[in-house]
Amino acid sequence: MDEVNSLSALLSQLPDWGGTYLHDLSADFLNERKRIFWGYLALSAVLAVLFLFSMRGYGWRSALARVFDKRVFWSGSAKADYVIFAVNRAVSLLISPMLLTQSAVTTTVFFAMSDQSVIGFQSLAGWPSGLIIALYTLVFFLADDLSKYLIHRWMHHWPGLWAFHKVHHSAETMTPITVYRVHPVEGILYGLRGALVVGCVIGVFAFLFGAGALSLYTLLGVNVFAFFFNVAGANLRHSHINIAYWPWLERVLISPAQHQLHHSTATRHFDRNFGAMLAIWDWMFGSLHLSEPEEELTFGLKPHEASATRIADIYLRPFRDLYHMARRRLVRKS
Amino acid sequence: MFRSKLMTTSLVVSVAFLAQSTAADTYGPFPITLKGYEGDATNSVSYGGQIARQTLEQSLKSLAAKGDGGANAAELEKQMLSYFTGPTAELPIIAPAGKDGFPILQKTVGELSGSANLEGKFYNGLMPAWAGNMTGIDVAKDMIARAAASKGGYDAENGFDYPQLISKFTMGAVQYSQAVDNYLDEKLAADVKPNNLPYSDGASYTGKEHSWDEAFGYFGAPAHATSLAPKVAYNVAKLADLEAADANGDGVVDLKTEMVFGPAYYAAGADTSGATNYLPTIVNAYIGGREVITAAAGEALTAEQLGELKAYASTIEDAWENVLAEAAFKYAGSVYKDIATMKDTAAEGDIYRTYVKHWGELKGFAMAIQSGRKNLGATAVELNKLIGYGPVTADNSYVTGVDADGTFIRDRRMTWSDYQLNMLKVQKLLDEQFSIKARSNDVLAELDALAGAVDAASNAETD
Repeated sequence: MDEVNSLSALLSQLPDWGGTYLHDLSADFLNERKRIFWGYLALSAVLAVLFLFSMRGYGWRSALARVFDKRVFWSGSAKADYVIFAVNRAVSLLISPMLLTQSAVTTTVFFAMSDQSVIGFQSLAGWPSGLIIALYTLVFFLADDLSKYLIHRWMHHWPGLWAFHKVHHSAETMTPITVYRVHPVEGILYGLRGALVVGCVIGVFAFLFGAGALSLYTLLGVNVFAFFFNVAGANLRHSHINIAYWPWLERVLISPAQHQLHHSTATRHFDRNFGAMLAIWDWMFGSLHLSEPEEELTFGLKPHEASATRIADIYLRPFRDLYHMARRRLVRKS
Repeated sequence: MFRSKLMTTSLVVSVAFLAQSTAADTYGPFPITLKGYEGDATNSVSYGGQIARQTLEQSLKSLAAKGDGGANAAELEKQMLSYFTGPTAELPIIAPAGKDGFPILQKTVGELSGSANLEGKFYNGLMPAWAGNMTGIDVAKDMIARAAASKGGYDAENGFDYPQLISKFTMGAVQYSQAVDNYLDEKLAADVKPNNLPYSDGASYTGKEHSWDEAFGYFGAPAHATSLAPKVAYNVAKLADLEAADANGDGVVDLKTEMVFGPAYYAAGADTSGATNYLPTIVNAYIGGREVITAAAGEALTAEQLGELKAYASTIEDAWENVLAEAAFKYAGSVYKDIATMKDTAAEGDIYRTYVKHWGELKGFAMAIQSGRKNLGATAVELNKLIGYGPVTADNSYVTGVDADGTFIRDRRMTWSDYQLNMLKVQKLLDEQFSIKARSNDVLAELDALAGAVDAASNAETD
């Protein structure tokens, strides 16, 4: 009887769950906090057309045709991107309540700060409000970007992590939706990274300045730096439009062309340009590679490494790889 | 076969329906079940002594604010001690005394009980939360003496508000302590106050009936409490809703059965958050337990019946303990916010007065929760350390002890920010130990709000 009751309770929740899922699926396009917000997508398309027209000598019509190239948006790889986007939303709906929350990290860090005796609670609260907010906004942005750089670098360095990250690199054509072409395990790691960074920054700042003094400089609800990144065509990172910056700027900010180079199949481009928004981390840690706009790049991985189109293979192969890695280790040890 | 099954089913359904429809939604009246009783009484419910103590606590709170700064100290202390120690029968009920539009039936304590006092029922274990290494009764008397010598119960220099300290501490040291550590504990043992004997010679109620009724009286809820919405119960305690209090519609409020007193008032206060239902949970557990006893029809309770009673007692204790923790949590938040306001203005005038009042409430509830059946151990030690013997005062000093003459020593200082941090830690500790749900004045939520302002999902975006 109990089983029947719990089953019917579960079934009665299904419509809610389905509704939430459909909402989540569409909400990303309507949420100005997301990179694929329709406004940013439209702006990226305009930027791309303008770039081809003014810098590459395309006519308006041919520039439009190039930007919305059917061979890119309806390739087998792109179709897989769309399926992965839809499947990952459902997976994230199921597992996100189980993950470490940033508010738990915030509280832990805040109270851990109170155990030290070097600097007291709210001891910098007297600083000018504008300065506190600017510092908070900047530190948030820097910590977020640096942690993305580091975890991305590790994803390429450690075979166990690469097994999952190569799902993203298996894309043979790139569209803005390719940003969501990630294995759920990688999604979890990035989520944990976010919780840790957000929790640490808020915990430390709330302790030093008091929670009441803190707010972020935002535009449309997004950290002002991230907003400019989105407006400046972040969506073109995953695209076939290779906008490059001046060399000096490519040492500060990662251009779309630099990120496309990160996806290149050419061996000399491997393990370069891990940065998300800032190039300074790549510059500092020796992984920077300026763009090569004249070079025709190809994307993807060899078939024995990962499939670009087969969904089951994309989701399951990382686990099979891990299993083989573990077995090789054990055999070597024995 | 089918017919007999059908008959059985209908019988079960009708019995269940009958049981449901006759389940009491008020605490009493309950019939006389005592075997051999030959008197005229028809209702076995009685808890006048407990209601008398509710009025003694409230009256003491009123008196604690009557000091004129020293001239009337001796006289006031004597008067306060009469409410604390007795004899109390002739004493007027100072609070709740009723007002226009809210008349109260009883005028003297003796109309409720001839012999009730507070001291005889006061928690008398060690009370380390108060400076001076004293027992609970010593602490209460110390507070009474200091209140009598103060002006209006307020000691600005040391940061004490005695009416708040005395009433909140008493709410734990008498009402909560007596209910959970005596009537719902020892008196539930099979061989103590058994149900097949009168509570005392000549009584119309059995041992277990009266023990349970007294425990209910200490909670301070009216008999019809389950029909009152939290906000309504709150207004009754504030003498603001005669219609809701006056269950029998006779135009006056009978303190014995129609009034909301301290513990029930704070349960209702937490329930106004919408996140808890302490008042109905506790009152329904009392009613459920009383029905178990009534159903035993004057026989000694079986082990199974005692087990049921203990389950109800445990529900009551847990919820009541949480009510006290919720109140302490709320006032820790008030103290934190008052300090924030004082930092923006200055530690003087009305806001400092409000801060001392809120601290008195916090401290009183922190002491109350340490006066129950359970030894809170490290939690109590930590709570006392964080809150301190006294609050941080206007010159940043705070009470650290008493000298040989009983004068408070304030030989250490703490910044306002550090004391605010202590309040955050108090809320965190209470939350961890008691699972705070109503969360009034939740200052920890400021941290959550900051974390919530940054979209977690967008942080999962990779590259």
